[in-house]
Amino acid sequence: MFGLYHAVAGQARAAVLLCPPLGQDMIRSHRVYRQLADALALQGIAALRFDYYGSGDSAGGSDELDWARCLADTVTAAGELRARSGCARLIGFGARLGGSIALGAAGTARLSELLLWDPVLDGNRHVAALDALQDALRVDPMRFNAPRTREDAAGQWLGFPIGAGLHRQLGNWRAEPSPLPVRVFDSLPPAAAHDWNTLLGGAASVTELPSTASWDELDRLEHAILSPDLIRAVGDHLRATA
Amino acid sequence: MTKERAFRFGRAQHLVGVAGLPTTPAPVAPVGVIVLNAGMVHRVGPFRLHVEITRRLNACGYPTLRFDLSSLGDSGASNESQSQVQQIRADVADAMSLLASHAGCTRFVLLGLCSGAQNAHTVAVDEPRVAGAIFLDGYAYRTLGFRLRHYLPRLWSAARWHRFISRKLQAAANRRGDDVFAVSFPPQEQVQRELTAMLDRGLRLHFIYSGGVTRYFNHPRQFRECFGRLADRPEISARLFAGTDHTYALQVDRQYLLQDIADWLQQQFPTSGESIP
Repeated sequence: MFGLYHAVAGQARAAVLLCPPLGQDMIRSHRVYRQLADALALQGIAALRFDYYGSGDSAGGSDELDWARCLADTVTAAGELRARSGCARLIGFGARLGGSIALGAAGTARLSELLLWDPVLDGNRHVAALDALQDALRVDPMRFNAPRTREDAAGQWLGFPIGAGLHRQLGNWRAEPSPLPVRVFDSLPPAAAHDWNTLLGGAASVTELPSTASWDELDRLEHAILSPDLIRAVGDHLRATA
Repeated sequence: MTKERAFRFGRAQHLVGVAGLPTTPAPVAPVGVIVLNAGMVHRVGPFRLHVEITRRLNACGYPTLRFDLSSLGDSGASNESQSQVQQIRADVADAMSLLASHAGCTRFVLLGLCSGAQNAHTVAVDEPRVAGAIFLDGYAYRTLGFRLRHYLPRLWSAARWHRFISRKLQAAANRRGDDVFAVSFPPQEQVQRELTAMLDRGLRLHFIYSGGVTRYFNHPRQFRECFGRLADRPEISARLFAGTDHTYALQVDRQYLLQDIADWLQQQFPTSGESIP
């Protein structure tokens, strides 16, 4: 398992576990995760970035990515962060499916608070969206000179092979109300449905970010997600609470 | 057997990379393969392409290193007063030294996509330890043949006109500062001169063009149209995967690419024996 620990000078006053999203969202948000970790370290907050089995630099093929394994890896990473930072109390952060994984692993990983950036809360709806984007990708004239066959594009989501297991696991997943304090950082476009309180049981606080992230735009599939607003908002929140 | 190991390395300990190292060193170290960033994408590559390439080559017996150049991915700045070209050359020199110390390699093949291909070219121009390079969507220039093939069919095809205009509009919309694959090419004469010098030094060069760059390369014959008799030399080769996109988003395309890369390396720089990953 690959991870990068962002140490602080002296004793860390808090520690944040940065759970990455999956697939192309992970590639696109790599920069903002690094920037966030650097910014937190300057505030005296230790941070750990890591890759799940089958993603990033960690072992395993992309087609071996597994939801249960992602949750288990998050628990492992939480233990590593506790050991390195000396902080017993960990805050979980995650964007998109990274937020979903943080929610799913929060209990076992003994996280005390969750900071979720545009989290995916309805797996079935997300699967449908990814399937539709994949179908659009194969006939995208900006990408291919001629449409590709369904066979060529089958079993993949936006550049990544997916096993039938992950497809099923994610399709069956739905967020449940969290017993932990949850703050959602919302940068979805106004048109996207995001009734955070319904899905999180009314326990979530929401910070609306002034800029919109282009998560599901096919023509920006290979553009980095950059969000100084997110880094500022998370930093401000933790400055006040951590 | 090969194991992967993460390193923080370089003259300022500012670079981050993952090396694929044989657990049992070969009697004669094969060439080491160093994979450079594609645009702004960190070392795992677009759709994890660089992870798949390095692991495939590890399985063929080649030590590999995928790493982030200064200030990209997880790497920091070296805080030196250098031009960008000097910094890229110094970063790759650090990468070669790392792989030399851990795998015993003395010669290296550079591999890069898009700006990574340009950086591989920049380093290969005068780095004596470079024995070869694989350029994915590297340099090529529009020729008369290109223009005939590109424009003539459009005269009678509404669909092609639509795609042409859409791409122009898309390109304009993408000039917002976060386009990860924006590149510009040096003069053709300079590139031709530098490629000739590389071949004269004994380098082996392989160009692979994707269907994602039909705005400047649209037929296998174009390589010779660009570079003339240089293209006939046995140390240089080119091929076109016309149906693919620029970053090999489909798995089937990545498999063809990986096979071509592995075949070329085995042909040009055979290993004494294959290892099992």
